[in-house]
Amino acid sequence: MSSGDEELAKDLGPLAALTIGVGTMIGAGIFVLPGAAVETAGSLAVAAFVVGGAIALLTALSASELGTAMPKSGGAYFYVNHALGPLFGSIAGWANWLGLAFASAFYMVGFGEYIQLIIGVSGAISLGPVSLNVATIIGLVGAAFFVGVNYVGAKETGALQNVIVIILVAILAVFTFIGGLQADISNLPANEGLPNMLTATGFIFVSYLGFVQITSVAEEIKEPGKNLPRAVIGSVVLVTGIYALVLFVMSGAVEPGFIAGIGGDDIAVVEVADILMGPVGAVAMLFGGLLATASSANASILASSRINFAMGRDEIVSPDLNEVHPRFATPYKSIAITGGLILAFILGADLIGGDAILTLSGTASFLHLVIYGLLNIALIVMRVADPAEYKPDFRVPLYPITPIIGAITSFALIYYIDPLVVGFGSLIVGGAVLWYVFYARTRTTKQGILSEYILDRSEEMPEPAVSAAASVQPDGGEYKVMVPLANPEHETDLITLASAIAKQRNGTVEAIHVVTVPDQTSLQYGADHIDDLDTESGNLLQRAREDAETFGVDLETSTIISHESFEEIFDAARDHAADLVVMGWGEDSHGSPGRAESAMDEVMQDIPCDFLVLKDRGFDPSKILLPTAGGPDSDLSAEMAKVLAAEYDSEITLLHVGDTEAEAQDFLELWADEHGLDDAELRAATGDVEEAIEDAARESTMVVIGATERGLLERLVSGSLVLDVAADVECSVLLAEQARKRSLWQRIFG
Amino acid sequence: MAELFEKILVPVASREDASATAAALAGHEAGDIVAVHVIEKAGGAIDKAGVEQRELEAEEIFDDFREALGRPIETKITYGTDVAEAIFDVAHDVGASSIVITPRGGSRWIRLLTGDVALSLVTESDLPVVVLPDQTQEGPTDEEAIEDE
Repeated sequence: MSSGDEELAKDLGPLAALTIGVGTMIGAGIFVLPGAAVETAGSLAVAAFVVGGAIALLTALSASELGTAMPKSGGAYFYVNHALGPLFGSIAGWANWLGLAFASAFYMVGFGEYIQLIIGVSGAISLGPVSLNVATIIGLVGAAFFVGVNYVGAKETGALQNVIVIILVAILAVFTFIGGLQADISNLPANEGLPNMLTATGFIFVSYLGFVQITSVAEEIKEPGKNLPRAVIGSVVLVTGIYALVLFVMSGAVEPGFIAGIGGDDIAVVEVADILMGPVGAVAMLFGGLLATASSANASILASSRINFAMGRDEIVSPDLNEVHPRFATPYKSIAITGGLILAFILGADLIGGDAILTLSGTASFLHLVIYGLLNIALIVMRVADPAEYKPDFRVPLYPITPIIGAITSFALIYYIDPLVVGFGSLIVGGAVLWYVFYARTRTTKQGILSEYILDRSEEMPEPAVSAAASVQPDGGEYKVMVPLANPEHETDLITLASAIAKQRNGTVEAIHVVTVPDQTSLQYGADHIDDLDTESGNLLQRAREDAETFGVDLETSTIISHESFEEIFDAARDHAADLVVMGWGEDSHGSPGRAESAMDEVMQDIPCDFLVLKDRGFDPSKILLPTAGGPDSDLSAEMAKVLAAEYDSEITLLHVGDTEAEAQDFLELWADEHGLDDAELRAATGDVEEAIEDAARESTMVVIGATERGLLERLVSGSLVLDVAADVECSVLLAEQARKRSLWQRIFG
Repeated sequence: MAELFEKILVPVASREDASATAAALAGHEAGDIVAVHVIEKAGGAIDKAGVEQRELEAEEIFDDFREALGRPIETKITYGTDVAEAIFDVAHDVGASSIVITPRGGSRWIRLLTGDVALSLVTESDLPVVVLPDQTQEGPTDEEAIEDE
């Protein structure tokens, strides 16, 4: 595909991008909420909207920077998931998706109120056992209509969106101009104080949700580096100005107490327009309200399908949701589910009683504030970790103050939202966390920049942070065998062993070539001169790929540059969420014995996954000797022996050295039974353990032995382990050490 | 006929379309086959589905098509507000000798909602357009189907 074609995919110009933001935002608050805002905050209603705009603007700056660095489908969810990892990604994704569904429900109930006013029917209608407000019923019908439109993907032209927004801005401009002429400061209602103002900001914040939707279609914007920040920031500034003016007119151009006296079924902006401009003004406002709420809902439904797509791509939710309709070319499943949620929320908000509008807008605001806070944190993480591919065209001014204040104010505003709504929203966030732990963690493979950053610096970072980062890592649900390769001679045997295990476990193999550079050489220099330092990497990994292919196992490869190669293997195992590391042990292998012992001790305390160390004297698993003294590490060796037997039809001999032969025989029978090795030949012995093993090994092709004591690897590498068996027998020896299973709690608090 | 099939451009809209078109192509000797998938753009409004999402979908469609044909093909993704026009552009770009389509059935309603691309292709083309009958649809025989059209 040529770049010219790619350009065709980007057809949102600066005006279109701006109108997406303005169109989504303006529909929400200004046509529905000003009455409630004036009642709550009095003369400070204007300030409530300005404060909301200021908080939104801080986040808009962060969203712009992230958007220009990563113009991808999915917007806010994508940035949070990328920077903070899939746990927070899950929170942001669900909050964004459900937040949009709640916002759409809110727009549609607002839409219902407008229609209700036009047709002049109000109150509640009972349908069988339940009674619903007319506005709710109209909202349900409206929502079903817009979901249907998006389900079949009826073609919308770019011009329509622009026209709607221009009409809306024009109606509001005329309203403020005429109203401004009649405004009188003495009309302003009483100042209701700061807490009330912030409460008003809390529920009108739903008026500032649209700008993030621009980032979710970032990939469609022409010259995103320039147009995205302009649209995001511009739309926030523009609507804040409009809101402030409209609110000023509403409270200044009519007598004090007028707004408070408006009945429950009337809409404040329409009543004020009626007074200021007569019936024409009221009709224009009604028309505007319909257009605005409809366009907001429509844009939100579309944006939510982008978030679904991005979540599905990362397997936070099932990718099946992303199926594209063969006829309509729409993500119909995702739209149908979002539509179902919108209908359920509209219905639910009415049934639980109270003010449905404020319940829905409050929940939407809460969920978006959570995302906004996370977005600001994501920006800080990206700046601190500064990955090479992070090259935003727009940079937040006054970093780090701006995103820090952005995060704090976003989270702080939650305090002023109705506690019941906050409680409900928190349940959603908690649900998203559980969703990650029980569903997404075993499926998603994407790791966040944050945990990569922490795990790469596990030495400098505080232990709890490292453990926490390691504990919540995604594991993709796949059994991953990592093979660090150093000596080309043993490449085939190690890959063969790893592939055999991976094949039996339906897993994958990750081959890593560790290039050791002297301590004097900086790692950056090493990375820059990788081709000179490392001439064999390509060949080695190529051969590894060919060897793995014979097993039909997927193999991924990478090269690591390090000073101390053994430690690097631990880091890599942790980073790649490996389940098993298969490595060689010998003269040329990783970290010659005796090296860096003290550093090693610390590292070995907590081996990140199971380890198999192969003392390679030719790979032949036809006759496996499995000496055991019990214990968890022999569990792993039993498991590995079984895997090899399944692949190679090996004969397994179990060996135990006891005080008496009868006792040893009893032990073996029990142990074989426990480990499902009933077919194995049992060999009971007495006397010297090493001699017994060496004797038995003469009739075997491979010895698989568990580290009967803790820290086999530790001593193996530091050179203090004198495992004469491994040195003296003539066949290959496979040493197994099992990862200590520690709970999340233990890892963090330790 | 041979000249007409020297280098054919085959628009594939969906995975079903890909297998139906591949079935229809079986038994016709073609030189080069270029499969094209058009990602319909709204031209200044939010698209009905994300671009990345539809690019991934296009690759799936191509895979299905390639597999059903059992031979190598060239593939091309293009973008446009008018699907037929985008197909013509690609046809000229790749120097296609003809455009080969297999119109799939569907009610009037469906055609109204999705736009009848097949009709535009046939009526607006300046290149030969070969319409192959859909072998996968039950119903009238080939001759009857042609009469119906």
